[in-house]
This record gives sequence, structure tokens and C-alpha cells, in this order.
Amino acid sequence: MSGIFEALPGIDVPVGSISKGLAQMWEGNASEGKPSPGGENAKAIQVNFVLHLGLNTDSADAVTQFDTAVRFSRRYPCRVVVLCPRKSDDGPTDMRAKVYGECTVGKTKDDTRCCEFVMLSYPRAVRANLEHQVSICLSTDIPLYYWAHRFSDTAKLADYKYLLTSAKRVLIDSATAPAGAFDFHWPKPENVRDLAYARLLPVRQGIGQFLSRYPAKAIAENLKSVELGHGAEVAAEARVLLAWVNDRLASCGAPKGIGTLAAPATAKPRSFSLKFAYTDGKVFSWEADLASGQSTFDADFGSGKTSMPASVALLQPENALSEAMFF
Amino acid sequence: MADPDRHPFLQGLSKHRGAPPTVVVIFGASGDLTARKLIPAIYNLSFDNLLPADFHLVGYGRKPIPDEEFRGIASKAIKDFSRRELDDKAWGKVAANTTYVSGGYDEKAGFDRLADHIKDIEKKAGSEVQSMFYISTPPSVFFPIIENLGASGLGGRYLGKPHHSKVIIEKPFGKDLDSARALNVELRSVFEEHQVYRIDHYLGKETVQDLLVQRFANSIFEPIWNRNYIDSVQITVAEDQGVGTRAGYYEQSGCLRDMIQNHTTQLLALTAMEAPGSFDAEALRDEKVKVLKAVDPIGLGPDADMARAQYAPGMIGGKAVPGYLQEAGISPTSSTETFAAIRLSINNWRWQGVPFYLRSGKRLPRRVSEIAIQFKRPPGTIFAQKDGFNLAANTLSFQIQPDEGLSLILNAKVPGLDTRTQPVKMSFRYATTFGSNTPEAYERLVLDAMIGDGTLFIRGDEAEESWKLYTPVLKYWESQGRQGVESYVAGSWGPEASDKLLTSRGHVWRQP
Repeated sequence: MSGIFEALPGIDVPVGSISKGLAQMWEGNASEGKPSPGGENAKAIQVNFVLHLGLNTDSADAVTQFDTAVRFSRRYPCRVVVLCPRKSDDGPTDMRAKVYGECTVGKTKDDTRCCEFVMLSYPRAVRANLEHQVSICLSTDIPLYYWAHRFSDTAKLADYKYLLTSAKRVLIDSATAPAGAFDFHWPKPENVRDLAYARLLPVRQGIGQFLSRYPAKAIAENLKSVELGHGAEVAAEARVLLAWVNDRLASCGAPKGIGTLAAPATAKPRSFSLKFAYTDGKVFSWEADLASGQSTFDADFGSGKTSMPASVALLQPENALSEAMFF
Repeated sequence: MADPDRHPFLQGLSKHRGAPPTVVVIFGASGDLTARKLIPAIYNLSFDNLLPADFHLVGYGRKPIPDEEFRGIASKAIKDFSRRELDDKAWGKVAANTTYVSGGYDEKAGFDRLADHIKDIEKKAGSEVQSMFYISTPPSVFFPIIENLGASGLGGRYLGKPHHSKVIIEKPFGKDLDSARALNVELRSVFEEHQVYRIDHYLGKETVQDLLVQRFANSIFEPIWNRNYIDSVQITVAEDQGVGTRAGYYEQSGCLRDMIQNHTTQLLALTAMEAPGSFDAEALRDEKVKVLKAVDPIGLGPDADMARAQYAPGMIGGKAVPGYLQEAGISPTSSTETFAAIRLSINNWRWQGVPFYLRSGKRLPRRVSEIAIQFKRPPGTIFAQKDGFNLAANTLSFQIQPDEGLSLILNAKVPGLDTRTQPVKMSFRYATTFGSNTPEAYERLVLDAMIGDGTLFIRGDEAEESWKLYTPVLKYWESQGRQGVESYVAGSWGPEASDKLLTSRGHVWRQP
């Protein structure tokens, strides 16, 4: 049966000799003339990163997320452990492992950064016993980050409590997580981050920079309603953006929860439209099309009408990871 | 944590993502620094989406240049000097709002035209716009620019509001104490101190900022960062280049003014200062001023604390190079130093008795800037030198450029039945850990000024304290003419007098 583990690149190694497998992999790379760490320096592993490909992940998606982790690790050299639970417990009960590594050569000879991936395939039945196997795959004394991707049921994450408690950040994506994921009894809720929120950084920055030109009082006063429209493909981002807008408006003095979400528009699947309606003639609206990267602000807070085009984009997945992990 | 001083719509965003609508005016728009550093910095900030959507770039200079041509010059500068390739989208956003105003630096009417131009920008933007004036000109026109920024009202725009006018000024901040004071008086006649951003690009370097993190975020260093454990400190800022095309400037400046008084002394201050109460700009700069005030006057007489020299013909990178006096544009009787070494004593509780050695020079073997902290040796009861043990002093060195990072020299046992020791090096390199494509110092500093963060800029009193230290040396050297100017072979680490500064205290220069 072809599963996500099989879809990922790497060399099969016995689970009991992962370290040896990694060493042989680098030797092999070097003998083929591929960039490889000349010594421990080049590995410069600074981050432990566990990517957990949940049961809702298919093979193509697994490769996509793996590639995101590779791009992330080019910037932040890391030891990545990819957890690949098997969908069925009917097959073999033993665990399997694969190793993968790559080095990126930068501008100078010294600018060679390498990352190491260990993929672990395991039947669901052993998931509660993974802790020790994962721990020996991680690099000692450096921070751990845990990304749970497309998991089927938040409650099942309780089996990974050691990751949830020891990780500096737990990353989930409300665009793919089961409903109610944020209501789960997270052991350390302050460490949980939503990748959808991280992706919205440039959007929050754009709106924030534009609206910060006007006094908070002028933004909140006589505000009747707020509506956020969105395309079908950015529904999760819209929910997160609305929560942020409501929160910021409340800080300006507007009633809590004033904003509402409009039904998804079908014309532009990756678009937003935000409109503030006032009882005193003030105007604010923002139209954004992520596909073209263009947005327009229109505002009149009493000092004349302003219309300003601005670029708009979501953070790239690897940048959203670093934003959610480090900032 | 919410910052009550920030607009609610900026809370939760990094301060660097909250720049207000801004117009940056560059005086000296066709100059070398503008092309090599400023335009690429602005471009890379745009690439990283760190500029406000309402960002405008205005070049100002004597030479009339059409807007389109100025945009072309800027675009070429990005192609030639940016750390990233030219991306049409990232540059297009800036280019669309890039214009040029021509006028003399001493021509009030030109500044009035500039003021009208900024008002037009505001009109189109529909909001108040912060003005940031970047003085990237020779110092000879600092005063007329500052005066005209005052006379045209540009310097005082929106004073009292966060988006008040700001002025960034490039070194030299004077050529001695008197002129530094005069420059500060001139600046303060138009601007309040918090509006002024004196740039020393060394402070924008990641490794220089990392020095603060290493010192104050690691508990292992602070307990030993004092005279009880540290034997000496060496700060080196070396260049392998000669005077090149800067002969006119360099003849008037020399190494002490060009490098020691600013870059090297900034490194000294960051190394030796006490921990500031916070990372707030004033707290940090207060500590730097305090430590500069604690430096003893530099000895000028017998057993002087300084050495100066000029490079003689030699070889760099396997190629013969001329001596300083043979360089084009240099007087054959010049007494300008191309190398300076200084021994400083800091008279405070932490540092009394610990020599700080500073050196900088042109045509040294390689381009390197580093701070090396040499620790005292352990009591030699077990592993004594006389018993053949090869022990090095523990040395912590911060490499500022190139190969940014830090290393620590430790002593380790050589494997084998006999106990033999050997110094080993433990290293951390920025490039291998984070990649070498980190932001340039100017990117950080331009953005910091835009958001009103003066932490990495030099305050007026700080510049004066530094000049107070070195002006007696400059005056002494001027009074001596060529007497006492040693020479060193290009490609060597400096003159004999420099070595003697250390050997007389039982130390030797590192060869980084």
C-alpha cells in the first residue's frame, strides 16, 4: 500500500540505527559530489522540529508539507522528525524509518547550511510509545517545535502529550484543523499558534499601517457595522482576520464583536473585502485580491477622501512557520 | 503585551512593521553612499514588505535630474549593489513614488520647493506624512542643509507627534571636539535631539547587536566580565584596501578620525559598558556615555598610549602595492596616519587595570573586524608551561566581519596515554547557522529611524565624549608633524610601535 511515508524522499534505514544511517547518507552525498557538511559546524542544527502528518494528510499533501519544511530548514538549519502514522493497524506492527538530508550552499564557502530529516512510520497502536524513539532522533538541548498537520481528531493529540508539553510552540492551521481545535484542552495553550494567523501578517500590517494614520477614536466612533467578505479559498484566514479586526476595533473603543463575516463570494476565490459602516458619513473599505496581489484602501474619516492602492499577499508557508515559531 | 502608546491597529505587530507614511529625502542623491548602501537598503526593505504602503523617496541635489532618470540611476544601483537581485514588483512599488528635486544646499528656494513637493505628496496621500532627511553629503555642506531645513520649516514638521521630521546624518560628526560641539549646536538649533539619528553603520551589524545579546542574555559571561577574570581586550578594525580614490578626504581625516573615533570606539563602548536598565534607546546610550567618561586620558608623552604609522610599499594578496606617500593625490610629505593603535584604561570598578587595545589601519593583511576578550590564565600548578604543557589563554572573540560569529579558545587534552594539552577552538558562525543573506546594516538603521527607534544611533553627547578622548591625541600629532610617524610594510599588521604598546604590558597582538 502506498502511503505518505512511501511518498516522501529519503533512504530506508533500520529504526535502531538512525544515527549511523544519517552518517552514511552524508558520506554517500559527499562521494557523489553533493554538498555535505564538512564537519559538525556545517550542520549547525539550532532547531528541533517535529512535523506530524496527521491521518487526513494524503501523499501529495505530505510531499508539499515536507517541501515546506525543507525550505524552512534552509533558513533555520534544523533536525526534522516527520511522524507518519499509518491509517490502518492491520499491516505490520513494526516501525520504519527513513533519513534525508540536504545542504544549501550560500554566498560564501562558510555559508553551507545542512538539515537532517528522520521520517518515522508507525501503526497508530504504538503512537503513545513514540516518545523515546522521537527523543533520540532529536538534537539535545535545543528548542523543540511541533507542527501538527491535518490531524483527524484533536482529542487524539493527547497521545502526543510529551510533544505538546515540551515544545516551545505547537503549530496548527485552522484552515485544515478539525472544527473546535482551539477549544481542545491544550496543556500549554499559550504556546499554541495558528498558521492561518501567521500567514496574515502582511495583511494585518497593511491594514494596521493604513488605519493607524487615523485617531483610534475616529475609527470607533459612530461605527454601525463591520463586514468582512471573502472568497471560498480563504475562509479560514477570513475567520482569523475578522477576530483580529474585532479585537483591534474593541481596543479603539468600538463594541466588542461588531464585525461579521459575509457569505463567501465565488467570483474571486482568494479575495477579501472589509467595510466599516458609520452613522456619520465616515467611510472605510478595503478590497484585496490575493491572486493579483493588489488591494485598495478607501477612507474618509473627516479629513478628506483617500484612496490608496497597496500590494497584498499572504506569507509563504515557510515564512509563516518561522513567524509562528519565533515571533 | 499591549503597548498603550501604540495605535490599537498596530498592537501585536512588531515595531518594525509599523512605519508610518514616510517620505525619505536623500541629500547627496547622486553620491556613492546613496548608490552603494541607501538605495539597496530601501529596495530590500520594500522586498521584505517593511516599508509603509505610502512610502516616497525623493532625491535632492544640485544637479537637475529628471524623475525618470533618477529612477534609472536608483534601479542601476540596486542591480550593482543590492544583496538581492532586482525584483520588478518590489522595486516597482518604490519606483512609482520616487522623484527628484533639484536645488543647492545653500539655496533656501530649493528647500521651499522641496517643502512644496512634500505637501503635494501629502495631498495625494490624503494624510500627514513623516519626513526623514538623510544627509549623505560631504560634511562641508552639513551646516547649510541643516540651516535650510530649519528656515523652510521642514525640520519642525509635526513636532510633538510621533511622525515628526527626522534627520539622519552620516559621519564624520566633526573633526575634533570643537567642531563636534559646533555641529551639535547647529543641529539643536533646528532639531530636538530625539529627531537626530547619527549613523555609525557598525551598530547596524548583526554581530554588533549580538554582542549585547551574548553579554546580557547569557549568564555565563557576566560574572566573569570584569578585571577579576579578564586580562586584556583587543579591538581590531582592519582593512586591506589602500586609500584608493579617497585621497582628498583621507588626507584631511586619517585613521584615528576615520575609524578609531567612531567604529572602534563604539565597539569599545558596547564591550565595556554596564548593563543598561532596559533595551530602551536612552538607557543604552546613557551607559555608553558613562563608560566613555570613565576612560582615562590617553598618555601622550614617554610610554605613550598611542602609535601612528603610514603604510610603505608592500604586497597585498600576492600583488605589489604602493606606499601611502606614493598614492595618487597624497602629499609626499603627508603626516596623515593610515594606522593607529591606542591603549586605553577604563577607570571604573569593573575595568581598572585591564588594558583595552584598539587598532585600525589600511593595507593590513586582511579585512577583518573583531573584539577579542583575553581571560586570565589559571594558576599553573597542574599544567604548568614549564612542564611542556601547551596552554593558551582562554579567548572569546567576536568576529564582526567577515565570517560573522564568535569563537572561544579552550584547552583540551590531546588523545593519547601521555597528558598533553592543546588549545582548541569552539566556533559559532552566523552563515552556517542562519545563512549569510542577512539584512545589511543600513536596512536595519534606515527602518529604525523611520519608526523612531534611536537605540542603534549615536547621541550628541556620545559623539562629544568620544572626541574629548581623541582630540588631545590629534592635536599632539599635529604639533609633531611627521615626527613620530612610523611606517609599516603594506600587508603587515602594523608598525613596531604598535607592538610595543602591548609588549610593554606583557601582551601581543592577535593576528586575526
